[in-house]
Amino acid sequence: MNYGPLVFLAAFFALASSWCGFVLTPQLQIGHLQQTNTVGGAGVAYPIARPGLARQGLDVYRANGCAYCHSQQVGQTGSVLDIALMDAGTNQAAIIAALFKLAESATNQPSALTMLTPLQPGASNATTESILAGLPKAFFRSTTREAANAAAKTLNSTSAKAQLWVVPVGPDLTRGWGRRRTVAEDYLYDAPVMPGSQRVGPDLANVGTRLPDANWHLAHLYAPRIEAKASTMPPYRFLFEKRKLGRRPSPDALSLPGDFSPGAGYEIVPKPAAKALAAYLISLRADAPLFDAPISVPAPAGAPASTNAPAVAGATSTNAPPTNPPAK
Amino acid sequence: MICSAVEPAQIDASCRLPLVVLFLSAAVWLLIGSAFALIASLKFHAPGFLADCAWLTYGRVRPAGLNCMLYGFCLPAGLGVALWLLARLGRTRLALPGLITVGALCWNLGVAAGVWGILAGAGTGFENLEMPSYAAWLMLLGYLMSVVWGALTFHQRRERQLFVSQWFLFAALFWFPWIYSTADLLLLTVRVRGMAQAVIAWWYSENLLVVWLGLVGLGAVFYFLPKLTGRDLHSRYLALLAFWMLILFGSWGGVPESAPVPAWMPVSSAIARGLGFILIVAVVLNVHGTLEGKCSRLFAHPSLRFIGFGVVAFILGGLASAASAFPEVSQITQFTWFTVAKGVLNCYGFFAMVMFGAVYYIVPRVMGTEFPSPKLACAHFWTTAAGIVLFVVPLAAGGIAQGLRLQHASLPFNDVTHGTLPFLRTSTTGDLLIALGNLMFLGNLTGLVIRFYRARAVSAWAAATVEIEPAEARP
Amino acid sequence: MNPEPQPSLPLAAEAEPQAGRTAVPVWLIVLLFLILYWGMVYFDRNGGWFNEQVYAPYRSFQEVETWQPVTGQAGLAQQGKLVYNKPTCVACHQADGKGTPGQFPSLVQSEWVQEPEPGRIIRAVLYGISGPFQFKGQNFNGAMVPWKDALTDEEIAAVLTYVRQDPEWGNKAPEVKPERVKEVREKTKGRNQPFSQEELLKVSPAD
Repeated sequence: MNYGPLVFLAAFFALASSWCGFVLTPQLQIGHLQQTNTVGGAGVAYPIARPGLARQGLDVYRANGCAYCHSQQVGQTGSVLDIALMDAGTNQAAIIAALFKLAESATNQPSALTMLTPLQPGASNATTESILAGLPKAFFRSTTREAANAAAKTLNSTSAKAQLWVVPVGPDLTRGWGRRRTVAEDYLYDAPVMPGSQRVGPDLANVGTRLPDANWHLAHLYAPRIEAKASTMPPYRFLFEKRKLGRRPSPDALSLPGDFSPGAGYEIVPKPAAKALAAYLISLRADAPLFDAPISVPAPAGAPASTNAPAVAGATSTNAPPTNPPAK
Repeated sequence: MICSAVEPAQIDASCRLPLVVLFLSAAVWLLIGSAFALIASLKFHAPGFLADCAWLTYGRVRPAGLNCMLYGFCLPAGLGVALWLLARLGRTRLALPGLITVGALCWNLGVAAGVWGILAGAGTGFENLEMPSYAAWLMLLGYLMSVVWGALTFHQRRERQLFVSQWFLFAALFWFPWIYSTADLLLLTVRVRGMAQAVIAWWYSENLLVVWLGLVGLGAVFYFLPKLTGRDLHSRYLALLAFWMLILFGSWGGVPESAPVPAWMPVSSAIARGLGFILIVAVVLNVHGTLEGKCSRLFAHPSLRFIGFGVVAFILGGLASAASAFPEVSQITQFTWFTVAKGVLNCYGFFAMVMFGAVYYIVPRVMGTEFPSPKLACAHFWTTAAGIVLFVVPLAAGGIAQGLRLQHASLPFNDVTHGTLPFLRTSTTGDLLIALGNLMFLGNLTGLVIRFYRARAVSAWAAATVEIEPAEARP
Repeated sequence: MNPEPQPSLPLAAEAEPQAGRTAVPVWLIVLLFLILYWGMVYFDRNGGWFNEQVYAPYRSFQEVETWQPVTGQAGLAQQGKLVYNKPTCVACHQADGKGTPGQFPSLVQSEWVQEPEPGRIIRAVLYGISGPFQFKGQNFNGAMVPWKDALTDEEIAAVLTYVRQDPEWGNKAPEVKPERVKEVREKTKGRNQPFSQEELLKVSPAD
């Protein structure tokens, strides 16, 4: 290594190899992605470009460096299969018996099958009505397809209809930050892409599904301590305007609780940047079922199992599989 | 094999102007950057602190501080040290120092424009690449102006046998323009689509923070350690192994564990980070062999304290990085303050300290004047060392605690954040001490430069106003 | 040019450092190869072999396929793949759908399969085919097994949807709904004979 050009060539080839690996190949693989179709439903196109105001909100998000405290990527550590009952069928006694049989095997062999809601024959919640209320509902969870298929077969041997739901699991998902992991398609139309690297504040990848109210976001931006008593998020009062109250209050004016209200004769009105940011936050959702991130979108309550009605991309079902209540 | 080598004093004199501009501007940006970092840190004590000013909101002042540190201090200081080392090791004068000075000024203009842009809300949104494109291209132009002549200096070397440091520094000259121009082109100018942007941004970040800082930092360490202890570097071949490990695998480590990209990318990054362990071992063996195990040698020269601290920080940071190759570890440390602590340990604890040591050695030789206060230099070391420890250790501990709590989904998120606040607030003392140390550094350096130019002005004045002998005054 | 200020430092013998020639210890090289080996094993297990559709925690493309939800209309094709490979159709038409020349016709790029209306192929699957048959210029004289008793309406609809829509085979035709199969079954109730080519051609696909 006494030869100058040799050092240059070494550096060049080393950098060229990592360039091919992390610049060229990602461009070929995910830089050329087009809209893809959701799976497990009617196959609608995904993702859809954000509407104009939300697109401007992305700029506000970038300009104020929100990505230094908030991440926008959700992880997943595994997948499980939920055995869900879609329809109780005509013979209710038989399906109840089958459920109790499975509950017993779940108690004996928790590694194969776990109960999502405890089912004890003779317990207070063990009446037929309470068990079969709110169908379709998931009753059991299994980590292997064999056990899940066996359980579904037991239930299907009565006149009931059972289905297997694919449910991603992980600490982020249990925390309510999403229903599946985020994948490259979710960021297709974002410029710049800001997945974030810190979680000083909660993850925002699916905040549009958790907190779909623009007014909540505006109030939170103005004074984060309204919602969280000792929040470390700074107040973004420069995105708002304190105006003298006119004859009538502005339609946009925020309604703030006593401590935070601007005082008599004044109102707080969000500037266009604040409204854009709120629109952007509401548009954040990443739970459409995709091939890379499979998740079942259960049919809404009351609909027959094999429905032809198209499932709206990213729609959250009214009867989502039981998880911990979403935390902020 | 030294044929017609240039005298060291002449080499140093040729480096004087560009190095003064580079080092002085670097010290100024360092102070500005640590001031921004201090403001950002204070916001965790009172979120409303300076929150009403859009220019000083956390999301702008934090990247401004980081960019001042990286592009305002690390790159110019590294470039200055690299140019001086290439000139000295090649036994030749620095080529076209005037143009290099122009390049340095252009670079500084770019940094100023970039920091202004970030505070005004024109930040790009990519971490470590926040400067808007107008500043970025200006900085690249400035860097190229310096680097072309650096390469020329290397080419014109009289000593044809390459010392270890020259590989590292020569590679570093080219590394930055390649990665920076790629990142600017694909992320700022002709934007690629979707997640590819994030992958390229991570690639660039890793190449800058691990490879470029590592190349210049290790190049300086492998020079100053043997030079200042008066011994030979332990092994040329170990240094060669370190060089190859750094350039081959260092640039692959950027993609984080849970990134929303196909699985092969985070896995490749994890493997590359694991291979970084070999780099650490090679450096440890070389340093240990050079010192022959006697750490007391590190106190032989004031600069060596800085170099020694830098080496220890490099080892610790490298071990933390290699540990993150295991998914169990990275699942806990990702998204926490641990990654920030690791970054500061690498950037400040390793690179900045090595640069301080180098500057304290180089500048007196280049200017021919001593620092006005060696005691201030000593105080600078202890203040900055204490500051780095007080910053990195609480943040690392807080980050691990935060990560472990994030794994328990039943714990409300607010509790997790509140758990980190004591650690964050402790780290503010570290920020304060670091800022104080930087002030001392700037003060000392400015004092030296003023002393030099004042001595020059005095002697020029004396030469101009020398009394003429009556005999000479005869027309 | 201003005169240089007097240097306050003694110009010591400025010898630049040299590098010793100690060899790299063997154990370090061994460690390097051990880590490389670990890396290769780790990549093989978790890397998904550069497939862009494999995301952690899934480890391979096959695993992602296994975890696809098999419900709803889009799941019909996936269900159909399972029905096809039960083994039912795969025994004759082969896993890639190309059949055996001279014995079993290929379903790939077949105009029979890709007819917009599935009336003919539903009848073919329900009642089978017998007698000489010309298919893409090739002559066949085998017999196709009737499936009306072995497969339910849903299964027939699923397998026909799979055959008509599988991207690997390149067929592009609308799916077949179970109700359509039921309709055909009602219309042809009482039939016990397989169809011959002339009979099949007489039937309108929209029937």
